[in-house]
Amino acid sequence: MAELTELTQALVELKKEDVLAMIEGELEKKTAPLDIVKALNAGMINVGERFAACEYFISELIYSSHIMKEAMARLDPLFEQTDLEAKGEKVVIGTVKGDIHDIGKNIVVTLMRNAGFKVIDLGVDVPADRFVETVKETGAKALALSCLLNLAITEMKGVVEALAAAGIRNDVKVVLGGQPIDEKVCEYVGADYYGPDAPAGVRICKQIYGQ
Amino acid sequence: MSDGMEQLFEERLARYQATIGLEPTDRMIVGGTGSNNFAEIYAGYSRQEIMYDINKWMAAESKFAEDFPQIDMLRAGRIWGPMFESVGFRLYKLPGRDLPPNTDFQFVEGEWMKADEYDVLINDPVEFMMEYRLPRVLAEFKEKGSVRSYMAFLKGGMAFVLMGQLMREKMLNLEKKYGLPQPTQGAMLAPFDVLADGYRGLQGIMIDIFERPDKIVKACDALIPDLVNCAIATADPLKRYPIFMPLHRGNHPFLSPKQFDTFYWPPLFKAVTLLIEAGYTVRAYLEGDWTPNWHHWNEFPKGKILCDIDNKADIAKAKKDIGGTVCLAGGIPDRMFILGTAEEMRARVKELCETVGKEGGLILNGGCAIPYLTKPGNFKAYLDATLEYGKYDEAVKPKLKKPLATPAGGPVPGHPPTVITAWEKKVEEWGGVMGDEKMIRDPWEMLERRAFCWLHFWDW
Repeated sequence: MAELTELTQALVELKKEDVLAMIEGELEKKTAPLDIVKALNAGMINVGERFAACEYFISELIYSSHIMKEAMARLDPLFEQTDLEAKGEKVVIGTVKGDIHDIGKNIVVTLMRNAGFKVIDLGVDVPADRFVETVKETGAKALALSCLLNLAITEMKGVVEALAAAGIRNDVKVVLGGQPIDEKVCEYVGADYYGPDAPAGVRICKQIYGQ
Repeated sequence: MSDGMEQLFEERLARYQATIGLEPTDRMIVGGTGSNNFAEIYAGYSRQEIMYDINKWMAAESKFAEDFPQIDMLRAGRIWGPMFESVGFRLYKLPGRDLPPNTDFQFVEGEWMKADEYDVLINDPVEFMMEYRLPRVLAEFKEKGSVRSYMAFLKGGMAFVLMGQLMREKMLNLEKKYGLPQPTQGAMLAPFDVLADGYRGLQGIMIDIFERPDKIVKACDALIPDLVNCAIATADPLKRYPIFMPLHRGNHPFLSPKQFDTFYWPPLFKAVTLLIEAGYTVRAYLEGDWTPNWHHWNEFPKGKILCDIDNKADIAKAKKDIGGTVCLAGGIPDRMFILGTAEEMRARVKELCETVGKEGGLILNGGCAIPYLTKPGNFKAYLDATLEYGKYDEAVKPKLKKPLATPAGGPVPGHPPTVITAWEKKVEEWGGVMGDEKMIRDPWEMLERRAFCWLHFWDW
């Protein structure tokens, strides 16, 4: 599989044209599309590791996701629906009600998916009861709450209280992330963890799932 | 203005100018934030009321100035909602309109410029605005050539003039009645942020860094003259107040140091240098964490820039790294205003006054703002403690700075403010004028320049 290692490396080095050309080459050689996706995923994981090590930055993260998106646009039609379904441990994530910012959240989602988590992204302006319902439905053990604005602090506390009122507070760990969040806010909200940056959020989710 | 208020105003302004200039002052500035979000809602108005009802906006500021007479400046609120409605500006969600009435206004990320439009932006910015970007960002202008689109421009122009009058009235109310200067007047974005915020969007600009880096560099350079000229058009003509610059994508870790050095800093440095050479100072919000890149601020002359340091960064390290060149603002975590106690606040203010602010060059603030959800008791403790612990030498009486001259060739040598229809073309169409040409030319060009800057108002 030497060529696929080269494919992984091309993605890590953010060479989009090479990645797309190599994919065509592999498909011509009848390489299984799933193997191609695995090689690409390995590249994304490496990108995530470089980001955590401060060798890559949000620019590289976004561009690698862009390359991946173009690659998957080529490969998706070759799969059955279930082949690519994420099978990892579940994390529910969203920006809390009142806040529509999602740049930080989307970065965390990318890193978590790269790390093999099945991420249920509820988007932005998410009310507490939707977080609670989704945690119940999915059985996720990790709930990540994101924000940019200070007003989210009270809303996050509301989410934690809603989990308690629904009787599921002890079934899920709550992780906070975003500009206003620090240890004291985490304590006030009643959350279990806070991630000062995106890689920390991933590490915490791994910790929650005992990885 | 009563003599007492005039004297108080001048004292406060002179102290602010000296603080920015890294010169001796009698004491630390009190409540010297550029964005007093707390003041917007302190009087009990909703965010929607402040944004849409100018009388309530002014009443809110007056009430705040009366209840907290120790503050040395005041600016609350940023957007006059009807201005945005007049043209259907799509870059914000506003309280009461598409957000609940008491929710903060919020920026809408989007791709408002396509990847293949760099050349038109660089070579013909007016064509870029009128044919490409503005039809996307101004909902009322979407169907160009319709009566509605014409009326949108007319209403937008009228709203702009009206807003200018209202802002002036608000500023004069604070100046004359309460002796309060403004923290800033006029605004400019970093050229890279113009592209990254309201043109290509975050996704777009990050792809461009890898796929068309030369276009980014050329576009930023092409933007500089207009950004500088339009910033000066909105700035204080007496050059008393710094020009406001909210800085976004210089925030680590959006860009690598190499990308910052290639794309973000050089055009920002050129643009700010032009403002300084035109006689202005700058108040820059280093939003997020600028630690790996803020050393660049040392490239500027000393005492011309005030940098607000956000909560994510360490203000003591900022003082060490750049405090010899620029004045700093910040140091109080937002959550201390919101969740803390008065005792904690006093302790934090005391600590900062005795360390980072010991030799001056520091204005205590939250993360680029005083948060909306500040507890009044904490705000009072912040003011009182600053007055108590932020004393320098009461014998020092800073003097108001005389406005510095604009260079002979204008703020951007070789680039006078842009006009779309030049006077020469107009007078040729008429076949000349019969009387004093300058009397007709001057207002024509003034309106042309203002109209062009109106197009840039919608950058962010």
